[in-house]
Amino acid sequence: MGYELQFFYVWQNLDKLGQGLLVSLELTGLANLIGLTAGFAIALMLRARMPVLRLPATALVELFRCTPVLIQVVWFFYCVPILFNLFVDPMVMGVLALGLNLAAFNAEGYRAAIQSVPREQYDACAALGLGGWSRVRHVVLPHALRAALPVLMTNGITIFQQSALVALVAIPDLMYEGKMLATETYRPIETYTVVAAIYFAISAPISLIVQRIEARFDRVQA
Amino acid sequence: MHFDPTIPFKYWDALLIGLGTSLRLTLICLAIGIALGFVTSQARRSRLMPVRAVAIFYVELFRGTPVLIQLFWIFYCLPMLIGAEPGNFISAVLSLSLYAGAITSETFRAALKSIPREQYDTCRALGITGLRLAIWVVLPQALLRAIPTLLSNAVALFKESALISAVGMADLMFIGSSIANRTGRPVEMLTAIAIIYFTVAFPLTRIVGRVETRILRRLAV
Repeated sequence: MGYELQFFYVWQNLDKLGQGLLVSLELTGLANLIGLTAGFAIALMLRARMPVLRLPATALVELFRCTPVLIQVVWFFYCVPILFNLFVDPMVMGVLALGLNLAAFNAEGYRAAIQSVPREQYDACAALGLGGWSRVRHVVLPHALRAALPVLMTNGITIFQQSALVALVAIPDLMYEGKMLATETYRPIETYTVVAAIYFAISAPISLIVQRIEARFDRVQA
Repeated sequence: MHFDPTIPFKYWDALLIGLGTSLRLTLICLAIGIALGFVTSQARRSRLMPVRAVAIFYVELFRGTPVLIQLFWIFYCLPMLIGAEPGNFISAVLSLSLYAGAITSETFRAALKSIPREQYDTCRALGITGLRLAIWVVLPQALLRAIPTLLSNAVALFKESALISAVGMADLMFIGSSIANRTGRPVEMLTAIAIIYFTVAFPLTRIVGRVETRILRRLAV
C-alpha cells in the first residue's frame, strides 16, 4: 500500500463543499416541506371512501414506493420538460421529484399512525359533535403526528441521503461538488471520505434523536 | 411531441439482460446481506464493548451516508488503497452487500427485541448458551418475525441497485438510459424502465402485507 493521504486539497476547497452542502440542505428542507404536508393530505385520501380520491392517491404512493428514486429524479429531469413543455430551474425538478417521493413514504407513515388512533377517539368526536375538518385538525392530526414522528424523521433523513442522486443530473449539491473535486484534484479517497463524513455528521445526530424518541415511546407503551 | 409506445419493445432483449443483471445482483447481495445483518445484530448485543462499538459504527455509517457515495468509495477509492482492481461486479456486490447488511441488521434487531425474555431464561435453565442459543433458539424466531421486513428490505435493495448504473454497470437503469440517449427518446424509454422496476417491486410489496398477517396470526396462536 503505497498511497499517501493528503487532505490539503480538500481543506483548500472546503468552501465549495460548503456551497454544495447548502444546496443539499435546501433540497432536503423543501422536499420535507412537500413531504410533510402533501404526505398527510395523501394519507387522508388513502382512507377516503370515494374511489375518485382514493385511487389516484394509491397510484401515486405505489408508483413512488415501487420504483428507484434514481429513475424518478431522471424522469422528472428529462421527461417532464418534454411532456409538459415546462422548462424550469433544475432545482425545482429536484425538489419536486424528492418531495413527491417523500410524500409517498410519509403518507404510509401517516396512514399507519392514523390507524393507531383508538376507535374511542372517533366515538368521542361523534359525542362532542366534532366532524369533518375540525375532527381531522384537533383530534386525528395531533395523534397521527405524534405517533408518526419517528417514521417522519427517519424518512426526512433518508431523503437527505437520497438527495445525493441529483448530482447525477448535474445539480451542484454536496455529492456533485465532491465528485468534481475528486476528479479535479485526483484525490478521490480524501474527497469522498470527507464528503461521506459530512453526510454522516448531519444524519447521525438526527438518527440518534429518533432512537431516543422511539425508546421513549416503547417505555410509555410498556 | 410524438409519443411512440412501441419503441421500448424494439429493445426488449437488451432491457431483459439489464433486468437480469439487476435481479442477480439484488439476490446475491440480499443473501450476503442477510447473513451479515444477522451476525451484526448479534454483535450489537455482545458483552464486549469493542465488538458492540464496531457493529454500531458499521451500521450507522452505512445507514447515515448516501448509497451513491458508498458505491463511489468502493469503486474508486478501495482499489487505490488495496492496490488491486477487484473488478466491477465484485465491487458492486461488495458495496450493496455492506449496505444490505446494515439495513437488515436493524430488521433483525427489531425482531430480536420481540423475543420474550422468558426464552432466554429457559435456555439458561436448559444450559443452552452461546452459539447454540443463537442458532437454534434465536435465529429461527428472529427470522420468522423478520420475514416481512426482510422482504421490504429486498425491495429497497432492488431499487437501490439502480445506482450501480452510475458507476457504469450494465443494469436495467444503465441499459435503459443508454438507449434513451442514443435514440433521443427519453420519455418512452425512461417510462418503460420505470414500469419494469414497478412490475417487479409492486407484487413483492403486496406479498409483504399478506405474509405479515399470516405470520402475525401464527405467532398469536
